[in-house]
Amino acid sequence: MKKKKRRLFAGLLTLALSVTMTACGGGTSTDKAASAPEGKKAQELVVVDWGGASSEAAKKTIYEPFEKANNVKITVVSPTDVGKLKAMVQSGSVEWDVVNSDTDVALRLEKEGLLEKLDYNIIKKDDIYSNLVTDYSIGLQVYFTNIAYNTEAFKPGSQPKNWAEFWDTAKFPGPRSLYKNPVGTLEAALLADGVAPDKLYPLDVDRAFKSLEKIKKDVKVWWEAGAQPPQLLGTKEVVLASAWNGRVSAAKAQGSPVDNEFSQSLGMATSWVIPKGAPHKDLAQKFIAYAISPEAQAAYSNAIDYAPTNKKALEKLSDDVKKRIGQTPERVKSQIFIDNRWWVDNYDKINERFNKFMLE
Amino acid sequence: MTTKLKTEVPVPSLAPPLHRLVGIPGLKWLLLLIPLAYTVLLLYYSMISVLKLSVYDENGFTLEYIRQVFTEPLYLKVLGVTLKTACIVTVATLLISYPIAYLLVVMESQRWKKVVMSLVMITLWISLLVRTFTWTVILQDQGVINKMLISLGLISEPIKLLYNTTGVVIGMTHILIPYMVLSLYAVMEGIDHRLVQAAQGMGARPWQAFIQVFFPLSLPGVLSGSLIVFVLGLGYFITPALLGGQGNMMISKLIQENIQTTLNWSMASAISLVLLLATFLLLGLAAWVSRLSPLLKGEK
Repeated sequence: MKKKKRRLFAGLLTLALSVTMTACGGGTSTDKAASAPEGKKAQELVVVDWGGASSEAAKKTIYEPFEKANNVKITVVSPTDVGKLKAMVQSGSVEWDVVNSDTDVALRLEKEGLLEKLDYNIIKKDDIYSNLVTDYSIGLQVYFTNIAYNTEAFKPGSQPKNWAEFWDTAKFPGPRSLYKNPVGTLEAALLADGVAPDKLYPLDVDRAFKSLEKIKKDVKVWWEAGAQPPQLLGTKEVVLASAWNGRVSAAKAQGSPVDNEFSQSLGMATSWVIPKGAPHKDLAQKFIAYAISPEAQAAYSNAIDYAPTNKKALEKLSDDVKKRIGQTPERVKSQIFIDNRWWVDNYDKINERFNKFMLE
Repeated sequence: MTTKLKTEVPVPSLAPPLHRLVGIPGLKWLLLLIPLAYTVLLLYYSMISVLKLSVYDENGFTLEYIRQVFTEPLYLKVLGVTLKTACIVTVATLLISYPIAYLLVVMESQRWKKVVMSLVMITLWISLLVRTFTWTVILQDQGVINKMLISLGLISEPIKLLYNTTGVVIGMTHILIPYMVLSLYAVMEGIDHRLVQAAQGMGARPWQAFIQVFFPLSLPGVLSGSLIVFVLGLGYFITPALLGGQGNMMISKLIQENIQTTLNWSMASAISLVLLLATFLLLGLAAWVSRLSPLLKGEK
């Protein structure tokens, strides 16, 4: 009997000890700057971006200048995981300060109350495209989903010059690849069917799916990762694809026989947001103010083929760069921006229908 | 003269498992209890909190999401595709792994055994994404296989090995082979060679001895390996997404979309719940089938 009592006691003691240890061990993400002596010690900032080439470009042109000017150490985390952000905010242990997120996702996060309000006394938003500015997010780069083609299959000049021609398999034969996501793909389908760019929204979803039905048998691959279209085009697995312009230019620069066709390109953007409860909120606001300044944005666009959201930054770019990123004056006038607000309201149902369409 | 035994025989007043537990001398039972409690608490606590979301959202209790999973034909269709793909992959993995495991067991040279084993295990050390993209390079129309077959004159048009179920099965099988090989090898290693020899001594041809003695004894390994591979296969979605066509959508992809894109965690949880129940159903079926056959239960 005594043996069993002793065992029970030992077990309870161990359990109590382990519970106390875990309770004490939690809450390690304290603001180190607060307890550090003032002056020489660098402040910390955690920035979340997409990784890869764009992160490297941002490091050189935005993060490092900011670090030097403000005695800050930036830790970069990639890629942006929105599910993780939600989990962090809801559990109260936020590790991220500034997050580079898709603009439509930023709107969704705003709707769910997961973001901090941006301080527009510090951040100068006047020169940013107004459709990319909200109380909780501000656009940082514009990229395009546009027609990309294999230059051996279509000599430059003879490629499809709009989505209607992309849909024309008689005049431009060959397998295609489209983005496996309704955002951008439905717009392309409607433009191919003859809808005028300024009459796109609200999207006529039934008409879009009917139009997609016409091209479905010629879509050999539905791509999911941005790296796929330039690779598929490069090996001539497909001859035409919708693609993100930056990826295609990067492949072209490495000698791949691919190129972008910018007319009827669909503009999408990413935005800076601050998760609710971020440990270094004030520094995050300062960072964003710097990141969207004309100098930072122009430097970034020189390093990688994404367009700035700051109109003053566009002026600083040379004509060559403007051409490469699809922002020549004619293009700027005729570019079509994806309506993120419409998508935030309608994405769920349409995505379900899109997935069903895939399985048919 | 009978000797008096000094050892105590504790009266079993507790249920047999607990009785065995407290029978362990000293405090060694803590070594079992602490990790077990840790695993059970964390695993079940987190699983319950996630599954709870399927019937609770910010408005309280609702069966809306589960209803949606069963009434919206998309989800059940995708679940069907997932189960079918997992089955095909399990069979393919078994067919390839069984000879490999058998080879490992009958091989006599220790060095060659290690070589084959490391060749199988090395694939586990390479990133999943790298392996998947490599299959793209090998299987595509301009890829290694097609180019070779065309240059040999065996075919005139490239075979469609990618962006369809074939590509998915090839990719997933390659990734799951190590798990199956290990399960089979573990069981086969324990089969007494002398039984096979005895059968041959009794007049059985080698292949007869194999079919009637060795193979039935290896069935527990086949069952456990198949279960592992099947359950793992249910969760894969990146490999099918990159190697498959539009008809190869797997259910984990829908769960992932709802967690990371639409942030509709209740929906994600509802789909997960249905997947979990479907898996339990199949595993229960397998357990019931194995109970009918004394062979499959393994050693007594």
